[in-house]
Amino acid sequence: MNKNEHDHKHCLELFQKLSEYLDNELDQVSCKEIEKHIKKCVPCFVCLQTLKRTVDLCKQAGNRPVPRDFSKKLKEVIQNMPKTPPAG
Amino acid sequence: MTEPRPANRKKIKDKDFELIQAINSGQFDRFPDLVKRYEHKLYNFSLRMCRDEADAEDTVQETFLNVFRYLKNFRYETKFKNWLYRVAASTCIKKRRKSKFAPKRELSLDEFFPQDEAEVPDQVPKWALRPLDKLLNDELLDKINEAIFTLPEKYRLVIVLRDIEGFSTAETAQILNLSDANVKVRLHRARLFLRDKLKGYFENE
Repeated sequence: MNKNEHDHKHCLELFQKLSEYLDNELDQVSCKEIEKHIKKCVPCFVCLQTLKRTVDLCKQAGNRPVPRDFSKKLKEVIQNMPKTPPAG
Repeated sequence: MTEPRPANRKKIKDKDFELIQAINSGQFDRFPDLVKRYEHKLYNFSLRMCRDEADAEDTVQETFLNVFRYLKNFRYETKFKNWLYRVAASTCIKKRRKSKFAPKRELSLDEFFPQDEAEVPDQVPKWALRPLDKLLNDELLDKINEAIFTLPEKYRLVIVLRDIEGFSTAETAQILNLSDANVKVRLHRARLFLRDKLKGYFENE
Protein backbone atom coordinates (compact mmCIF):
# COMPACT_ATOMS: atom_id res chain seq x y z
CA MET A 1 0.00 0.00 0.00
CA ASN A 2 1.26 3.45 -0.80
CA LYS A 3 0.14 6.87 0.34
CA ASN A 4 1.07 8.17 -3.13
CA GLU A 5 -1.54 5.92 -4.74
CA HIS A 6 -4.10 8.37 -3.37
CA ASP A 7 -5.59 9.85 -6.53
CA HIS A 8 -8.01 12.59 -5.56
CA LYS A 9 -10.66 12.02 -8.26
CA HIS A 10 -10.81 8.24 -8.13
CA CYS A 11 -10.68 8.19 -4.33
CA LEU A 12 -13.48 10.75 -4.11
CA GLU A 13 -15.65 8.55 -6.34
CA LEU A 14 -15.17 5.57 -4.03
CA PHE A 15 -15.30 7.73 -0.90
CA GLN A 16 -18.93 8.55 -1.74
CA LYS A 17 -19.84 4.87 -1.65
CA LEU A 18 -18.17 3.77 1.58
CA SER A 19 -21.32 3.78 3.74
CA GLU A 20 -23.21 1.76 1.15
CA TYR A 21 -20.28 -0.65 1.10
CA LEU A 22 -20.40 -1.03 4.89
CA ASP A 23 -24.17 -1.55 4.77
CA ASN A 24 -23.94 -4.22 2.04
CA GLU A 25 -26.03 -2.06 -0.23
CA LEU A 26 -23.60 -1.85 -3.13
CA ASP A 27 -23.59 -3.92 -6.29
CA GLN A 28 -20.90 -6.57 -6.66
CA VAL A 29 -18.87 -4.64 -9.23
CA SER A 30 -18.56 -1.57 -6.98
CA CYS A 31 -17.74 -3.76 -3.96
CA LYS A 32 -14.92 -5.44 -5.83
CA GLU A 33 -13.64 -2.08 -7.02
CA ILE A 34 -13.49 -0.77 -3.45
CA GLU A 35 -11.84 -3.93 -2.16
CA LYS A 36 -9.21 -3.78 -4.90
CA HIS A 37 -8.61 -0.07 -4.32
CA ILE A 38 -8.18 -0.18 -0.54
CA LYS A 39 -5.51 -2.84 -0.89
CA LYS A 40 -3.23 -0.27 -2.49
CA CYS A 41 -4.54 3.07 -1.18
CA VAL A 42 -3.74 3.63 2.50
CA PRO A 43 -5.81 6.82 2.96
CA CYS A 44 -8.95 5.13 1.63
CA PHE A 45 -8.29 2.06 3.76
CA VAL A 46 -7.96 4.31 6.84
CA CYS A 47 -11.11 6.14 5.83
CA LEU A 48 -13.08 2.90 5.60
CA GLN A 49 -11.79 1.59 8.94
CA THR A 50 -12.51 4.83 10.82
CA LEU A 51 -15.95 5.08 9.23
CA LYS A 52 -16.73 1.49 10.20
CA ARG A 53 -15.63 2.17 13.77
CA THR A 54 -17.81 5.32 13.87
CA VAL A 55 -20.86 3.26 12.87
CA ASP A 56 -20.03 0.61 15.49
CA LEU A 57 -19.71 3.30 18.17
CA CYS A 58 -22.90 5.06 17.10
CA LYS A 59 -24.81 1.79 17.51
CA GLN A 60 -23.65 1.72 21.14
CA ALA A 61 -24.98 5.22 21.92
CA GLY A 62 -27.42 3.77 24.48
CA ASN A 63 -30.74 4.93 25.87
CA ARG A 64 -31.74 6.82 28.98
CA PRO A 65 -34.57 5.60 31.23
CA VAL A 66 -37.85 7.49 30.94
CA PRO A 67 -38.13 9.88 33.93
CA ARG A 68 -40.59 8.36 36.39
CA ASP A 69 -42.54 11.62 36.79
CA PHE A 70 -43.01 11.91 33.06
CA SER A 71 -44.13 8.30 32.72
CA LYS A 72 -46.72 8.91 35.44
CA LYS A 73 -47.89 12.14 33.81
CA LEU A 74 -48.18 10.46 30.42
CA LYS A 75 -50.25 7.66 31.93
CA GLU A 76 -52.63 10.23 33.45
CA VAL A 77 -52.94 12.16 30.18
CA ILE A 78 -53.76 8.94 28.31
CA GLN A 79 -56.28 7.88 30.93
CA ASN A 80 -58.01 11.25 30.77
CA MET A 81 -58.32 11.28 26.98
CA PRO A 82 -61.83 11.11 25.56
CA LYS A 83 -62.62 7.41 25.17
CA THR A 84 -63.68 7.74 21.56
CA PRO A 85 -61.03 9.10 19.20
CA PRO A 86 -62.33 11.69 16.74
CA ALA A 87 -62.99 10.34 13.27
CA GLY A 88 -59.87 11.02 11.17
CA MET B 1 -51.84 11.14 8.25
CA THR B 2 -54.23 9.69 5.68
CA GLU B 3 -52.99 8.26 2.43
CA PRO B 4 -54.81 6.81 -0.56
CA ARG B 5 -55.05 3.07 -0.16
CA PRO B 6 -54.13 0.94 -3.17
CA ALA B 7 -56.70 -1.81 -3.73
CA ASN B 8 -56.02 -5.35 -2.42
CA ARG B 9 -52.79 -4.47 -0.61
CA LYS B 10 -51.81 -7.18 1.85
CA LYS B 11 -52.04 -6.27 5.54
CA ILE B 12 -48.78 -6.47 7.46
CA LYS B 13 -49.31 -8.53 10.59
CA ASP B 14 -46.51 -7.46 12.92
CA LYS B 15 -46.26 -7.85 16.71
CA ASP B 16 -48.60 -4.89 17.25
CA PHE B 17 -51.32 -6.09 14.86
CA GLU B 18 -53.63 -7.69 17.42
CA LEU B 19 -53.30 -4.87 19.92
CA ILE B 20 -54.12 -2.23 17.32
CA GLN B 21 -57.07 -4.23 16.07
CA ALA B 22 -58.35 -4.47 19.66
CA ILE B 23 -58.00 -0.71 20.21
CA ASN B 24 -59.63 0.08 16.88
CA SER B 25 -62.50 -2.26 17.66
CA GLY B 26 -63.33 -0.17 20.74
CA GLN B 27 -61.07 -1.52 23.50
CA PHE B 28 -59.61 1.90 24.26
CA ASP B 29 -58.42 0.69 27.66
CA ARG B 30 -55.72 -1.22 25.73
CA PHE B 31 -54.13 2.01 24.45
CA PRO B 32 -51.88 2.34 27.54
CA ASP B 33 -50.37 -1.05 26.55
CA LEU B 34 -49.25 0.52 23.29
CA VAL B 35 -47.84 3.51 25.16
CA LYS B 36 -45.96 1.22 27.53
CA ARG B 37 -44.54 -0.73 24.59
CA TYR B 38 -43.04 2.33 22.91
CA GLU B 39 -42.60 5.14 25.46
CA HIS B 40 -38.96 4.28 26.19
CA LYS B 41 -37.94 4.15 22.54
CA LEU B 42 -39.91 7.27 21.65
CA TYR B 43 -38.58 9.20 24.62
CA ASN B 44 -34.99 8.53 23.55
CA PHE B 45 -35.74 9.24 19.90
CA SER B 46 -37.37 12.55 20.86
CA LEU B 47 -34.54 13.43 23.23
CA ARG B 48 -32.02 12.91 20.43
CA MET B 49 -34.07 15.11 18.16
CA CYS B 50 -35.08 17.84 20.62
CA ARG B 51 -32.12 17.70 23.00
CA ASP B 52 -34.12 19.58 25.64
CA GLU B 53 -35.79 17.18 28.10
CA ALA B 54 -39.01 19.18 28.46
CA ASP B 55 -39.35 19.43 24.66
CA ALA B 56 -38.75 15.68 24.35
CA GLU B 57 -41.48 14.96 26.91
CA ASP B 58 -43.92 17.29 25.10
CA THR B 59 -43.07 15.58 21.82
CA VAL B 60 -43.68 12.06 23.18
CA GLN B 61 -47.02 13.15 24.66
CA GLU B 62 -48.04 14.88 21.43
CA THR B 63 -46.99 11.82 19.40
CA PHE B 64 -49.15 9.46 21.44
CA LEU B 65 -52.10 11.87 21.29
CA ASN B 66 -51.70 12.01 17.49
CA VAL B 67 -51.44 8.22 17.33
CA PHE B 68 -54.66 7.88 19.31
CA ARG B 69 -56.34 10.47 17.09
CA TYR B 70 -55.30 8.82 13.81
CA LEU B 71 -55.02 5.13 14.70
CA LYS B 72 -58.34 4.43 12.96
CA ASN B 73 -56.65 5.49 9.69
CA PHE B 74 -53.80 3.02 10.08
CA ARG B 75 -54.17 0.50 7.24
CA TYR B 76 -51.49 -2.05 8.20
CA GLU B 77 -49.66 -1.29 4.94
CA THR B 78 -46.45 -0.88 6.88
CA LYS B 79 -45.25 -2.11 10.27
CA PHE B 80 -47.00 -0.14 13.01
CA LYS B 81 -43.59 0.87 14.41
CA ASN B 82 -42.69 2.55 11.11
CA TRP B 83 -45.97 4.47 11.09
CA LEU B 84 -45.42 5.46 14.74
CA TYR B 85 -41.97 6.84 13.96
CA ARG B 86 -43.40 8.72 11.02
CA VAL B 87 -45.80 10.45 13.41
CA ALA B 88 -42.98 10.97 15.94
CA ALA B 89 -40.55 12.38 13.36
CA SER B 90 -43.12 14.82 12.06
CA THR B 91 -44.00 15.90 15.63
CA CYS B 92 -40.29 16.38 16.41
CA ILE B 93 -39.77 18.48 13.28
CA LYS B 94 -42.67 20.77 14.24
CA LYS B 95 -41.37 21.04 17.80
CA ARG B 96 -37.82 21.73 16.65
CA ARG B 97 -38.95 24.66 14.54
CA LYS B 98 -39.93 26.41 17.75
CA SER B 99 -36.80 25.31 19.59
CA LYS B 100 -33.60 27.24 20.19
CA PHE B 101 -31.51 24.19 19.26
CA ALA B 102 -31.78 24.25 15.52
CA PRO B 103 -28.44 24.30 13.72
CA LYS B 104 -29.38 24.28 10.06
CA ARG B 105 -26.74 23.75 7.45
CA GLU B 106 -25.88 21.48 4.57
CA LEU B 107 -22.99 19.06 4.94
CA SER B 108 -20.97 18.65 1.77
CA LEU B 109 -18.86 15.62 0.98
CA ASP B 110 -15.83 17.78 0.19
CA GLU B 111 -15.51 19.02 3.76
CA PHE B 112 -14.82 15.45 4.94
CA PHE B 113 -12.40 14.51 2.20
CA PRO B 114 -8.69 15.20 2.80
CA GLN B 115 -7.80 18.14 0.54
CA ASP B 116 -4.03 18.34 0.91
CA GLU B 117 -1.18 15.95 1.47
CA ALA B 118 -0.79 16.87 5.16
CA GLU B 119 -4.35 15.77 5.90
CA VAL B 120 -4.02 12.39 4.17
CA PRO B 121 -3.70 9.70 6.86
CA ASP B 122 -0.94 7.13 6.53
CA GLN B 123 -2.07 4.61 9.15
CA VAL B 124 -5.22 3.41 10.87
CA PRO B 125 -5.54 5.22 14.23
CA LYS B 126 -5.59 3.19 17.43
CA TRP B 127 -9.23 4.04 18.17
CA ALA B 128 -10.28 2.21 15.03
CA LEU B 129 -8.20 -0.85 15.85
CA ARG B 130 -8.78 -1.47 19.55
CA PRO B 131 -11.53 -3.97 20.44
CA LEU B 132 -14.82 -2.13 20.90
CA ASP B 133 -15.31 -3.27 24.50
CA LYS B 134 -11.84 -1.97 25.44
CA LEU B 135 -12.64 1.39 23.87
CA LEU B 136 -16.12 2.05 25.24
CA ASN B 137 -16.58 4.01 28.44
CA ASP B 138 -19.08 6.56 29.78
CA GLU B 139 -17.01 9.54 28.65
CA LEU B 140 -16.89 8.23 25.08
CA LEU B 141 -20.63 7.50 25.07
CA ASP B 142 -21.27 11.07 26.25
CA LYS B 143 -19.00 12.30 23.48
CA ILE B 144 -20.90 10.29 20.85
CA ASN B 145 -24.27 11.55 22.06
CA GLU B 146 -22.93 15.11 22.19
CA ALA B 147 -21.65 14.76 18.63
CA ILE B 148 -25.06 13.46 17.47
CA PHE B 149 -26.70 16.55 19.01
CA THR B 150 -24.49 18.84 16.95
CA LEU B 151 -25.57 17.31 13.63
CA PRO B 152 -28.00 19.43 11.62
CA GLU B 153 -31.51 18.03 12.02
CA LYS B 154 -32.02 16.47 8.60
CA TYR B 155 -28.84 14.43 8.95
CA ARG B 156 -29.49 13.60 12.60
CA LEU B 157 -32.94 12.21 11.81
CA VAL B 158 -31.45 9.81 9.29
CA ILE B 159 -28.52 8.58 11.38
CA VAL B 160 -30.69 8.13 14.48
CA LEU B 161 -33.25 6.10 12.53
CA ARG B 162 -30.64 4.03 10.66
CA ASP B 163 -27.79 3.45 13.08
CA ILE B 164 -29.45 3.82 16.47
CA GLU B 165 -33.07 2.73 15.94
CA GLY B 166 -32.04 0.10 13.39
CA PHE B 167 -34.47 0.89 10.56
CA SER B 168 -33.43 -0.15 7.04
CA THR B 169 -32.78 2.36 4.27
CA ALA B 170 -36.21 1.66 2.74
CA GLU B 171 -37.99 2.02 6.10
CA THR B 172 -36.16 5.26 6.89
CA ALA B 173 -37.09 6.60 3.46
CA GLN B 174 -40.72 5.72 4.11
CA ILE B 175 -40.73 7.27 7.60
CA LEU B 176 -39.18 10.53 6.37
CA ASN B 177 -40.86 10.57 2.97
CA LEU B 178 -37.52 10.65 1.18
CA SER B 179 -36.02 8.59 -1.63
CA ASP B 180 -33.66 5.71 -0.74
CA ALA B 181 -30.87 7.60 -2.52
CA ASN B 182 -31.46 10.68 -0.39
CA VAL B 183 -31.37 8.62 2.81
CA LYS B 184 -28.04 7.09 1.75
CA VAL B 185 -26.50 10.48 0.95
CA ARG B 186 -27.59 11.99 4.27
CA LEU B 187 -26.49 8.94 6.23
CA HIS B 188 -23.03 8.94 4.70
CA ARG B 189 -22.51 12.64 5.44
CA ALA B 190 -23.82 12.24 8.99
CA ARG B 191 -21.42 9.36 9.62
CA LEU B 192 -18.50 11.35 8.20
CA PHE B 193 -19.43 14.28 10.42
CA LEU B 194 -19.42 12.02 13.50
CA ARG B 195 -16.19 10.39 12.39
CA ASP B 196 -14.50 13.80 12.31
CA LYS B 197 -15.83 14.62 15.79
CA LEU B 198 -14.53 11.29 17.13
CA LYS B 199 -11.21 11.78 15.39
CA GLY B 200 -10.89 15.17 17.10
CA TYR B 201 -11.77 13.63 20.45
CA PHE B 202 -9.19 10.84 20.20
CA GLU B 203 -6.47 13.16 18.90
CA ASN B 204 -6.90 15.38 21.95
CA GLU B 205 -7.18 12.49 24.39
